[in-house]
Amino acid sequence: MSRKGFFTDSTVCIGCKACEVACKQWNQLPDDGFRFTGMSYDHTGALGSSTWRHVAFIERNEPLPGHVTGVGEFSWLMLSDVCKHCQRAGCLESCPTGAIVRTEFDTVYVQPDVCNGCGYCVVNCPFGVIDRREDDGRAWKCTLCYDRLGEDMTPACAKSCPTESIVYGDLEVLHARAEDRVQQLHDQGLVSAYLYGRDARSQPGTGGLNAFSLLVDRPEVYNLPPDPVVPTMKAKQAWSAVAVGALGMFAMAVGAVLMGREARP
Amino acid sequence: MSTDLPEQESLLDRLQRKRDGRNVDPRLGTLLGEGSQQRVKDPDVAYPVHGLRAHVEPDKHGSPTYHGLPAIKQPVWISTIPTYLFVGGVAGAASLLGFAVDIHGSRSLRRLALRCQQVGTAGDMLSAGLLIADLGRPERFLHMLRVFRPTSPMSVGSWVLALSGGLNTVGLVLGRARGGLGAVGRVSGAAAALLGMPLAGYTAVLLCNSAVPVWQATRRTLPLFFMASASASAGSLLSLLPHSAEEARVLRPYRLAGKVAELACGVAVVRDARRAPVVAKPFSEGTSGALWRTSRACSAAGLVLDALPGRRRWKQVAADTLTTAGAILARFAVFHAGKQSARDPRATFEPQRAGQGAAEVLGHAVASDGKPLKFPLPVLR
Repeated sequence: MSRKGFFTDSTVCIGCKACEVACKQWNQLPDDGFRFTGMSYDHTGALGSSTWRHVAFIERNEPLPGHVTGVGEFSWLMLSDVCKHCQRAGCLESCPTGAIVRTEFDTVYVQPDVCNGCGYCVVNCPFGVIDRREDDGRAWKCTLCYDRLGEDMTPACAKSCPTESIVYGDLEVLHARAEDRVQQLHDQGLVSAYLYGRDARSQPGTGGLNAFSLLVDRPEVYNLPPDPVVPTMKAKQAWSAVAVGALGMFAMAVGAVLMGREARP
Repeated sequence: MSTDLPEQESLLDRLQRKRDGRNVDPRLGTLLGEGSQQRVKDPDVAYPVHGLRAHVEPDKHGSPTYHGLPAIKQPVWISTIPTYLFVGGVAGAASLLGFAVDIHGSRSLRRLALRCQQVGTAGDMLSAGLLIADLGRPERFLHMLRVFRPTSPMSVGSWVLALSGGLNTVGLVLGRARGGLGAVGRVSGAAAALLGMPLAGYTAVLLCNSAVPVWQATRRTLPLFFMASASASAGSLLSLLPHSAEEARVLRPYRLAGKVAELACGVAVVRDARRAPVVAKPFSEGTSGALWRTSRACSAAGLVLDALPGRRRWKQVAADTLTTAGAILARFAVFHAGKQSARDPRATFEPQRAGQGAAEVLGHAVASDGKPLKFPLPVLR
């Protein structure tokens, strides 16, 4: 099986949220409650256990080349966010039960019949994607429509996207398409366009993302970390500290016994 | 009048009565999707935004956030986890002290060794209970031993705790027997005692091996703090239990060394976090700040009172109670510091821009958007 992924081009996203609806419908996920956040047109807020696609809305007080608005110095940014299916996935590397696996499509999948809800993947995702649903007790996230992929179908979100902002396919094909699109935007004068998490070279901390995006502003603006790292990469220093601490604990215990013994008359 | 009419349930009534937030009419659709097995008791519980918006100032210094929302998820763990961080540490340190007494101590210290082993075994059992209580699906607790994954400190820790608890129990039951069974018991007890060291320290690695900024930033010192604190609290707990004058001569230096080490490592943890000021904020602000300050005050008072001359019992009880309270509060402080840190998007973004993200271990000089990282000094490669 070839490596599959998403390429999300934020410059053509119109914020219709069809991807959110399609995801909820296909995967039969419960709604998030119907409430008003006051954050632009974003009433979803963030990815979560029952929200596997989330459209971010950013209202900026700076113009974007090619955008015409009635209020002058203003531009919209919209991005449909999803689980990144990282090459070095924090959730997968931290899962103590083996519930999280890498599939034949090179995606990251949580097996609901194995997950025991320890909640460790939740703190190990550098993007804040996976979450534990409290009334269910297990961790959930985007499956990249594993059930559809097996039938050679396009994931629901990509299928429903009316502007091809979300494109699904083989990673090599997506990379070529994304590079072409960046070049096209640069030629049009949108020089701030770049690919976020295309590969291990542009994002060494995750080894590249299977679901990468084309952005036109800093990642923080879209609530994405600027230099994410799979926590496992830093664990060596913590384990070294445990080794030092173990020596100290042992010395304290043995030392105290020897001192106490020698103090005998 | 309306009561005379037969009660006709509309489609909307039926869907709303079901109230699982899916709005699938069971007569028309079957629940087979990937998310259809998700249990829903409260349809609104998954709504992620309310109460989560951090108090972040508007974008003045060029450090934007997305509507002040957190960039990562908060730990979902409940208060049994910080309780376990304390109990597991005490169990590990007590088992180790029991082993040291066994190999180096005189015959008159045997009762102390036994008491250490009892505390260690009881702590292991209690720890397992506390951890299972936190699971989203407690009935699947055995899945923890389904695989061994060295990259996951939780997997390593589950095995350490399971082995330590099992071996400690065997050691306690068989350790005083004669012949072959006794040898098995003593070897088990020794193995459990040596596992006590990783048991006291891995919990810190478990926290540090995460995307939570304050935990990740303190990975060089938090394990030392947890292990020192475990020794101090095990010493204090054993001193609170009845013991002979001879045993007190072992417990006193052990306890004092632990208390000094705990205070010193506590200072080191905060210094470690301060490499990025926004990361260290939870140690001085909010719930976690208050808990941390109280905990440090308790530990310091516990040490001073212990070191003062005089051997009156009430003084000893007060000192050891203060140390124990300090150690428990410290675990809750570190736990809540993690929650507070995860809520603050700037704590996630700013250290990464300053080269403390992946660049710290991999050494690249640009962020994911191709912009150079803001190291304190220009980096030449």
